[in-house]
Amino acid sequence: MRRWRNPLVFAFGVTVALFIGWVAFPRVLYSQKQQPLDFLHKTHAEKSGLTDCAECHVIREDGIFAGLPATEKCAGCHSERIGESKAEAILVESYIKPAQETPWLVYSRQPANVWFSHAIHVKRASLSCAECHSSHGEQNSVRMYELNRISGYSRDLWGHSMSRLRNGPHEGMKMSDCEKCHRQRNVEVGCLGCHQ
Amino acid sequence: MKLSRRDLLVWSAGAAAGLLATPVPWKILDDTSIWSQNWPWIPQPARGPVETKQSVCTLCPKGCGLRVRMAAGWAVGVAGLNTHPLSRGALCPLAYAAHQLNWHPQRLRVVQHGTGSSSWEQARAAFAKASKEGPVVIIDGYPGRAASASFETYTEGRDGSYCVVPSPEIRALTPYESWTGVPADCFGYDLENTRTIVSFGTPLLDGWGTPGRFARIWAERAAGTSDPELRLIQIDSSMSRTAARAWRWMRIREGTEAALASGLARALLEQNLVPAHGLIPGTTLAESADQCDVSVEAILEMARNLIARSPTLVIARDNAPAIAALNILLGSVGARGGVVRHSQHSNLRSYAGSEVQNARAVLIDSSVPWNFVPQTDAEVFRFAAWDGGPTKADWLLPAPGFLEDLTDVPTPSASSVESYAVAAPLLKSATEVHSAAQFLSTIDARLIPTEKIIHNRCEDLFRRRVGTVHAHNAIPSSELASVQKLEEQLWQGGVWVGEPLPGKLPCRLKEWPSATPSSPADAWTTVWIPPVMPALSSKLYIESTLRDAPERRQA
Repeated sequence: MRRWRNPLVFAFGVTVALFIGWVAFPRVLYSQKQQPLDFLHKTHAEKSGLTDCAECHVIREDGIFAGLPATEKCAGCHSERIGESKAEAILVESYIKPAQETPWLVYSRQPANVWFSHAIHVKRASLSCAECHSSHGEQNSVRMYELNRISGYSRDLWGHSMSRLRNGPHEGMKMSDCEKCHRQRNVEVGCLGCHQ
Repeated sequence: MKLSRRDLLVWSAGAAAGLLATPVPWKILDDTSIWSQNWPWIPQPARGPVETKQSVCTLCPKGCGLRVRMAAGWAVGVAGLNTHPLSRGALCPLAYAAHQLNWHPQRLRVVQHGTGSSSWEQARAAFAKASKEGPVVIIDGYPGRAASASFETYTEGRDGSYCVVPSPEIRALTPYESWTGVPADCFGYDLENTRTIVSFGTPLLDGWGTPGRFARIWAERAAGTSDPELRLIQIDSSMSRTAARAWRWMRIREGTEAALASGLARALLEQNLVPAHGLIPGTTLAESADQCDVSVEAILEMARNLIARSPTLVIARDNAPAIAALNILLGSVGARGGVVRHSQHSNLRSYAGSEVQNARAVLIDSSVPWNFVPQTDAEVFRFAAWDGGPTKADWLLPAPGFLEDLTDVPTPSASSVESYAVAAPLLKSATEVHSAAQFLSTIDARLIPTEKIIHNRCEDLFRRRVGTVHAHNAIPSSELASVQKLEEQLWQGGVWVGEPLPGKLPCRLKEWPSATPSSPADAWTTVWIPPVMPALSSKLYIESTLRDAPERRQA
C-alpha cells in the first residue's frame, strides 16, 4: 500500500482538477440569463406560416442585415393579445404598447471589431441559416442565454462543448471557426475581410 | 492515515497536471484576451440600426464624395463614393478616419479665453463689444460657402473686412487673373483632356488637388483604359513620389523652377516650336541651364517634348508667373486640355494681409489652417474643432467637427467644371459647439441662416437648368421637376456638376515675367496643410510618409 500511496494521491489530484475543470468551471464561468420572454419559433412557423427566416430577419436591399425584427414588426399581429400565453402578455404589455424594443440577448453577437456580412454568406455563398445558427428556428422555446463572465459574450461564440473537439458546423462562432469554414470552401478573405 | 507534507505536494502536482488537461487555463487565457478588447474606457459603437449615408467631405475644400456607415446614428466608418464625379471613390488618408476625429483627444470642447475656460455668452459679449469699438476682420479659409456669405454680410457696414486665405492651387492660378482679368478661383486644369502635363514640383500623384483625380487618370493610363500615351513630366529637385512615377523626371537645382521655365520659353521661341509671341524671356538658354544645373541640350529636348503631344498643360506648385506664362506660349489658356474657366462667379475676396493690423478684432473661421497666425495686436477669436497647440488667439471657440454642421461645398480649386454639393449634419456633437456663422447670427439679426442661403443657391441652380446631379444615378438638371427635388438630391449626398465653359481667353502679357517666383502668402506656409486639421494631425499626416513635404524629401 505504501508504494501505491504517491500514485494514488497524484491520481486523486488529477481527478479533482479534472472535475473542477470540466464540471465546476463551466458553471462558474457562465452565468445564465433569461430572455425577456419565451419566443416560440416553431409555433410561429406552423401557425403563422412564417417558414422563411428572412421574413422576420430581413436582409435589406442595401445588403445590411436588419438583425432581430423590431417591435413594430411584432405589432403587425400582436398589437393586441390574440392568445393566452404569458409570453404574449409580456410582449404586448411591456414592449408593444409602450413602443419599446424587446431587449433580446443575442446568442451570436460578435465583438465590435468583427465585420460580418449576412448578405454575402446567405446570398452569395448560399449558406442556410442553420449552418451557423443550428436548428434555432425549429425550437419551441428560447434557450437560456449563457453569458461568459470574463469576456462578456455569449457562450455560443465558444460553443457548448468546452473541449471544442467535436464542434459541428453550427457550434462555435470564433475566428477559428470562420477560418475553418473558409478553408473548407477555398475562400480567402484576408484580415481586412472581417476586421475592417 | 495521516496526511503528510509530501502528500500535499504530490496532490498539488497531480492537480496541476490534471488542470492542464482541462479547459481552465486555455479558456481563461482566451477570455481574458477578449476581455482586454472591451475595457470600459474603450469607446464602443452604439448598437442600433445600421445604414449607409452619402455625404461630402468638409475637411478641406476638395469636397470628396463619402459613404458614411452609421450605427444607431453614429458614424462608424467612412469610404469613398465611387459615383462621385470629382473624387471618383478616392479619399485622402485623413478622410478615411474622419469619423474618429470627432473623438480626438485634442477636440475642443469648451470655450477658452486666455489660459482659462469661459462661456459662449462671454465670448459673444466680447465680440459684440469689439465690433462696436472698431473694424472687424473675418478670415475665411474656404470661400464660397453659405457661411462665407454670412461673413461678408457681417463685415458690410461695419467698417470691417472679409479676407480669405487661398490654397496653393488658387495661388498657382493667380498669374492668369492678372493676364486675363478673370478671377483666379474661376480657373481650373482640364486634366482629363490633356495629353502632356508638365509639373513644376507639383505633387500631382501625391495629394495635389482633389484626392484621386489625377491618380485615377494615371492609373487608367497604366491599365490602358484611357490615353496610354498621356505624358507626365515632373520637374523636381529630388525623387519625389510623383517624380518616381512620372513619364520623365527632370532633376534641377532646388528653387530654380522659374529659371527653367524661362529657359524652356526661350528654347520654344528660338527653335520656332511655337508661334512668335513678341515677348521673349530675358534669360538666355545658357544662363537657365547654368542656374538649373542642367545642360542646354536637356532644355532643348524638354522643349521638344512639350510640343510633341499637345495639348500640353503646365502646372506650377504655387504662384509662379514665369511658369504660368509657358501655358500662354503653348496656347493652353482657355483651350481644351489646358487652363480652363469653370465658373462665371468668383468667391475670392482680398487675401488676408494688412487689414488685420488695423483691426479691433479678428475672427478666424475653423476652415483656416491652424498654422495661419495673423500678425496683429487685435483681439483674436479663433474657431476650431481641434486644438492644434499654442496659439495667439485670445478666444478659442469650439467649432463643429466632421459632419456635425450644415455646410455647402462649392467648386474645389483646380477643378475644370463648376460643382455644388451640400454636406448635411449627419452627426451630433457631444458638447455645445457653434460654427462662426452661427455665432455671428446670434449677434447680427441681418444674417440669413445657412439653410436659407443654401436653398437660395439651389433655386439659382435650378433656374439655370444646366449640368447634371450625380446622386445614386446621374440626373440632368433639366429633368428635375422642382427645386425641392434638386435640394433633396443634394441633401442626400448628391453633387451638381456644371458644364465646361467654352471659349478662348484673351491673355495680355505686357512683359515676360521675372524668373524669380513670388508668392504673397509664402510668409505663412509653403506646404499644403489640410484646413481645419490641427497641427497635430498635419504633423502625423506628413510624418506618416503618406505625403512628402519638400523639406522632408531634402532631408
